Amino acid sequence: MLERGAVVRVAGLALDLSTGLTTEERDLLITRLRDLGFVAGARCEVLARMWLGGDPLVVRIGGSTFALRRAEAAAVTVQRLETHATAA
Amino acid sequence: MDAATQSLRIALLGVPNCGKTALFNRLTGSRQKVANYAGVTVERREGERRARDGRGLRVLDLPGTYSLTPTTLDEAITRDVLLGRVAGESAPELVVCVVDAVHLAVGLRLALEVKRVGVPMVIALNRMDVARRRGVQIDPARLSAELGVAVLPTIAVKRGGADELIASIESPRWLEHRVVTAPGWQPPSAEDAEQTQSDLRGILASVGYVPAPENSWDKALDRVLLNPLGGLIVFALVMFFIFQAVFTWATPLMDGIEALFGSFGGWVNANMGDGPLRSLLVDGVIAGAGGVLVFLPQIIILFFFILVFEDSGYLPRAAYLLDRLMGWVGLSGRAFIPLLSSHACAIPGIMAARTIPNWRDRLTTIMVAPLMTCSARLPVYSLLISAFIPAREIGWFNLQGIVLFSLYAAGILSSFLVAFVLKLFAGARRYSPLMLELPDFQWPHAGNLVLGLWERVKIFVSRVGGIILALTIILWVLSTYPAPPPDATGPAIQYSFAGQLGAMLQTVFAPIGFNWQISIALVPGLAAREVAVSALGTVYAMSATGDDQIAAQLEPVIAQGWSLATACSLLAWYVFAPQCLSTLAVVKRETNSWRYPLIMAGYLFALAYLASFITYRAVGALT
Repeated sequence: MLERGAVVRVAGLALDLSTGLTTEERDLLITRLRDLGFVAGARCEVLARMWLGGDPLVVRIGGSTFALRRAEAAAVTVQRLETHATAA
Repeated sequence: MDAATQSLRIALLGVPNCGKTALFNRLTGSRQKVANYAGVTVERREGERRARDGRGLRVLDLPGTYSLTPTTLDEAITRDVLLGRVAGESAPELVVCVVDAVHLAVGLRLALEVKRVGVPMVIALNRMDVARRRGVQIDPARLSAELGVAVLPTIAVKRGGADELIASIESPRWLEHRVVTAPGWQPPSAEDAEQTQSDLRGILASVGYVPAPENSWDKALDRVLLNPLGGLIVFALVMFFIFQAVFTWATPLMDGIEALFGSFGGWVNANMGDGPLRSLLVDGVIAGAGGVLVFLPQIIILFFFILVFEDSGYLPRAAYLLDRLMGWVGLSGRAFIPLLSSHACAIPGIMAARTIPNWRDRLTTIMVAPLMTCSARLPVYSLLISAFIPAREIGWFNLQGIVLFSLYAAGILSSFLVAFVLKLFAGARRYSPLMLELPDFQWPHAGNLVLGLWERVKIFVSRVGGIILALTIILWVLSTYPAPPPDATGPAIQYSFAGQLGAMLQTVFAPIGFNWQISIALVPGLAAREVAVSALGTVYAMSATGDDQIAAQLEPVIAQGWSLATACSLLAWYVFAPQCLSTLAVVKRETNSWRYPLIMAGYLFALAYLASFITYRAVGALT
């Protein structure tokens, strides 16, 4: 789990169906994440996390800021780059 | 037909928060029409613009979308209008794709997708002033050359900030290239989407675009506002402030409106011969219109705050903070504004539910909105509390205040309970993403605020006011006719249709402790809940006029005549109080179906009856 301040690089988009989504819903989710700029190589920073398992969380990508639920963030596979701030 | 005299259909399209609505206001001024798309409850905004050569331009403000692959009804409408697939809606002849220069990537990606549809298009590169301040280097001419589409820099919130765009869309050349057939379009495959992304990267690289670093003010604000503890504290303070504003600032204005309508009614009474027409005017029309307009100050203050939050960028942040909490009971984080509004009156609350993109979330919000304690219940609460609850101090608190607070809390808690039950009944919930953009903070723009407020007020007064007025008049007829026989001894209302209905209702209400007077008062209370107080006054043949005097006279009478159990039962009844026809009428309009208002009336009635029954028995056993 990524802490607040973590900076990562997006590796890709993938989600298995164990989350209870239908294939259609999963495809829709992945399409939307891609359209928002979650594409391989993009730099992404975790700005905030809510209590209770950090759901939802706020990330900054491509100059925009988005709040994602954990189930949505789970579709983004990432590579850790560096850690700015200390973990919250 | 002479092409030059026809008006060109222009559609504004863009991602949410790109300044599209501000640009729409800049292009059309106040010549706007707000309605719904046929058969759905997505808001349709159209405006008129007169070009310099006298031609008319029809500008449509499409709902914001990130993509032509929709996740919500609003986004689906945007795609379908663009493709000419909406019945009764011709495809636009020119698309103005609004792209926020500060968040270039996400907006430009949509522009690339729209360009592929093949409709004539120009790009409005909006918020150029902010982009420049933040050090974002964008050369519109170069971007235009890369895209093969005109790119026009705009500052939508500044006078004259869209002049280049206006010159471009008013050019007669768009008329010469009018499209006749609806564009053909295939939903993009994953490969297409990857291709769009790589095109986008290529274009951004060739124009030398570097995303703006996060503004240091935004960063500092977000550190507090998005922090779970700090954010929730600020949120609570903000809500408390709004509550105070709605209830205290509005009071003098509301008193003023009431006095105005009261003296107008008095003037008509004094200057008109006694008869059914005078009674209809005074007790039906004037009292009915007054009963509606008296809520206008509260609604204006409330919507002022809602619009300020929307414009400043705070709204999505609050939705983020509350998403989990409200998600437990099956509500969206965005539901808090409609539910907050419902504390003034459920009608603007139900209207504010339009900001919830997901239909099921929106429906749940609408269904629980009448459980919030609206200000129309206050007169009933205060009458019963002052008659039956002793003003004893308990610690630092007053017992009467505690009871009032518990009634408010009971409303909120029961809304969570009902939302939870609805969630269980609705079964597998169609997945709806949060994926909420948190836009940059900005100062709300006064002109846009005024236009937004004006629009809400117009909707409330014209559409809602019409319904309420009609209902009030119908109920006036019911409680006036037939006239009492000459040898009548009881109050006149007892002999009317409403009175007969009340007498019939008494058999239904006897198990929860309501006497025939209460049962009759509930019937005119259908129009607006607070009318029940003056109806009780009528039933008990009070001579006083004005709600306050009636209440003052009623207090000792009911304190003597009713048992504590009956009073508590009536209080419990009013927590759920299904009898507000105006709310049901608005639900019908907002959901386009009779089904939901009927379900709502049914469940509210059942809950009210159950709660009153339990309260009546429990208090009866204790006293």
